Amino acid sequence: MGGGYAGKILRIDLSAKAVSSIPTSDYEEYGGGHGMGSAIFFDLCKDKTVDAFDPGNVVTVMTGALQGTLTPGASGRCEVQGIGSQGYPKQWFTRTNFGGRFAGNLKYAGWDGVVLEGKASSPVWVDIRNGDVVIRDAKTDGLWGLDTFETEKAIYSLVGGSGSDGWFEIGGSRDAGRTTQKPAVLSIGPAGENMCVSGCLVHEGGGGAGQTGMGSVWGSKNLKAISVLGTGDVAIADPKALMEARAWAQKGFWSIEDPKNLMGMWSNLPAGPADSAGAGRAQGCLACSKNCHGGRGAKGLAPGSHCVDGGYGMFATAVNPKTDQDNAVTTDRLQRLGINAWEMCGSLPWLYDLYKQGILGPGKEIDSNLPWDECGSGAFNKAFLEAMAYKKDIGADLALGVARCAEKWGRYETDTTSGVLALQCHGYARHYDARTETEWGFGSMVSDRDINEHDFNWCMYWYVAFAAMYKMPFIMPAEQLVTMVAEKLLPYKDPKMLDYSEDGMYSDASVKLVAWHRHYSRFWKQSAIYCDWAIADFVSPYREGYSGLTPEYEPKFFNAVTGKNMTFEDGMELGRKIWNMDRAIWCLQGRTRDHDKLDEWQFLTGATRPIKASYEVPYTMPALVDGKWEYAYIDGRKLDKARTEDWKSRFYAFEGWDDNGVPTKATLEKLGLTKVAAALQAAGKLS
Amino acid sequence: MAENDDRNDEADYSPQSGLSRRQFVTGLGGIGLGAVLGGVITGGLAQPASAIAIPASQGYLLVDTKKCSGCDSCMLACSLTHHGKASLSLSRIQVAQNVFTPYPNDITISQCRQCPFPACVEVCPTGASHVDAANGNVRTVDVGKCIGCERCVNACPFTSSRADWNFEDKHAEKCDLCADTPFWNEKGGVGGKQACVAVCPMHAVTFTQEVPVQAGDVGYNVNLRSKDGWAKLGAWAKTT
Repeated sequence: MGGGYAGKILRIDLSAKAVSSIPTSDYEEYGGGHGMGSAIFFDLCKDKTVDAFDPGNVVTVMTGALQGTLTPGASGRCEVQGIGSQGYPKQWFTRTNFGGRFAGNLKYAGWDGVVLEGKASSPVWVDIRNGDVVIRDAKTDGLWGLDTFETEKAIYSLVGGSGSDGWFEIGGSRDAGRTTQKPAVLSIGPAGENMCVSGCLVHEGGGGAGQTGMGSVWGSKNLKAISVLGTGDVAIADPKALMEARAWAQKGFWSIEDPKNLMGMWSNLPAGPADSAGAGRAQGCLACSKNCHGGRGAKGLAPGSHCVDGGYGMFATAVNPKTDQDNAVTTDRLQRLGINAWEMCGSLPWLYDLYKQGILGPGKEIDSNLPWDECGSGAFNKAFLEAMAYKKDIGADLALGVARCAEKWGRYETDTTSGVLALQCHGYARHYDARTETEWGFGSMVSDRDINEHDFNWCMYWYVAFAAMYKMPFIMPAEQLVTMVAEKLLPYKDPKMLDYSEDGMYSDASVKLVAWHRHYSRFWKQSAIYCDWAIADFVSPYREGYSGLTPEYEPKFFNAVTGKNMTFEDGMELGRKIWNMDRAIWCLQGRTRDHDKLDEWQFLTGATRPIKASYEVPYTMPALVDGKWEYAYIDGRKLDKARTEDWKSRFYAFEGWDDNGVPTKATLEKLGLTKVAAALQAAGKLS
Repeated sequence: MAENDDRNDEADYSPQSGLSRRQFVTGLGGIGLGAVLGGVITGGLAQPASAIAIPASQGYLLVDTKKCSGCDSCMLACSLTHHGKASLSLSRIQVAQNVFTPYPNDITISQCRQCPFPACVEVCPTGASHVDAANGNVRTVDVGKCIGCERCVNACPFTSSRADWNFEDKHAEKCDLCADTPFWNEKGGVGGKQACVAVCPMHAVTFTQEVPVQAGDVGYNVNLRSKDGWAKLGAWAKTT
């Protein structure tokens, strides 16, 4: 298979408590990560219409060729897929991912990934030490019921620490392998155990596969944790080329010796030194040169808690400013309980609004005895998060996920129409504004979830909007910026893709932008697995003319590790294949064009942002205005239903799908997905 | 050891030895008899011949555990340049971390100290573990001579031991300051580059030719934060 791959995928049947393996070469054509996960799900999930909590749901935890190697912004990434519980109104087959040391350890243990099928009859955890894989009892080992931090620490003791000289032998013989490292653990907390849709997967105290409800899916399978410790190695096709690629990349990435920012913004910076939680360090995933995790300061803030995980606390404070809210404590609590921070960011402002309207509260229509009068305080956050995780008070209904909870309360339509419940689509809280940032909104609309891919978000929105807000000089004129970035958008290379004007967002060029982004992310970001917080690198202050490392970066490392000769465009085409497979799976789940829908408030309200606690700044983005490129203020725009539907039809045509959004037989066959076409045919989905 | 403590006695310092005052002083202030440095020590100290005969390494790695991000890039670069593979277990520098331990005790770095009196060299029965005069006196393993007794691994006085057992190729190995890195286009060794230093994104490991203070860890775990670009912005947390 070439360098980089371990060669085997671990297959665990939780129902039978049986362990076997799948040759990775069976799925080589998909490259790794997401592509392999989708293809494995396609093969092994017999009935794709089942609910997320059905034992027939198949979950994959996949790495790719780059994981465990010296590739920065990739080595630590791990892609998790399966039918997620969060999707609304349907629980779409979906994806989430996380960093740290788990993916590397899987590779060193000799595994490219893990497939989880069935449901254990009682709570278990999986103990992987190189080739030795044991399914253990999570109750007798004292893990079930623990929070994620305590689970991981307990597993450190169960799997063993250092030997007398600091090296720990595993495998029972001198040459079976040694390490100084702790096992890498991925676990669920009480939220996942209780099958709350807000339940997520947590690694290293904060590397979180946060969204999609995958923690609750593990809970439904009685799976508490996977621990992996590997002492082996990853073969590298061209080690010298990899060292050279590393040196080249480091010149283009953030440097601690020469910290440069753009527009006063430090994108994805090492957080630790600037962490106001206390004396601390930056902390990085395996081999990363950006090291964006931080914290772990004197207050013990978990490493991943510097990022969005800390957002819930910030939202809580902004919703109702109180002075005693310690964000570090709140965030650590959220991590321990294993709760999706973003779900909280979406639900809290809505719930507080209902409280202020007199609809929710003690003895009210929605009865809740949480201390709403001090919402935002540390005491409230503790009560609220614990209610969420243990299904107490309104936590029992919120365990359905905020969308289904709103539906149960009879409030979904009203509140997503007014925007008080600012879900963007598919049951996911709004992230970046669909009314302005096209590739985010429309890309999410035609997908399974909030795409959460920041590729254009940094250079088209943040750098521009920040400069506009603080009246700083732009790094270059708008036309120059879009031209430079468009050159990187192989194979299309059309600057009009980056026209965020109202006409631009419904244009054919916008169709190309969204298609480009889906294809790029499906292979390069989720299958080769490059970290969203590092790549795509479109604009860099460290490079000539600010021209970032994309599109050289992606194939350079991939080829050095694998020995293959992939071009950037080859990766785009493979991404298109994987994206079509995903779309086909959603169609098998019952997807129609009516599901490609953004929540109502985005068509009705032009208010700047309905959420008071938003982190966003007013949207200034590149746009063609009367034929000239400008950085235009585009806030306050509403989406247009008819134009959106028309855009969808043209998007489907561009992608080779029928007018219901189903990939055609011809499209699938040209992509080598004949068996996928056959499955759609058998299910009566092909037109 | 009273005579060794008299660091201000000019009579003990011999300019002819070619030693800097610091090298002389730190040699005597270190692990006693084991800390004799390169060159010839004149003066009234009775040393065994074997101790005097071990020349000091011309290079050392210094780290800053308060700056390290735990990304393990150093470890992966070490195994990559020496073995052409990615492996934490085959790295001759080890970074161990416990994310649940509060800073700054959450990370330990075990780099070879290129000890002035290397126990790993002393105990080797075949001379596999030796001082490489052709490469700046770096303490390294000639794998062709290694018989796999692991005496060097056990003799290293530090935890985790810096002399490592390569369980894939079945021989001992240790940090050679990149004197022998067949999978790297750069020149390594004391006159060249070190892979761990080259790849560290935090600049938390550095190379020096000066012999570090031998007592405790202060000579090898140093403050590399105070002068970097981030420090100039006043952005490092207030730790020493």
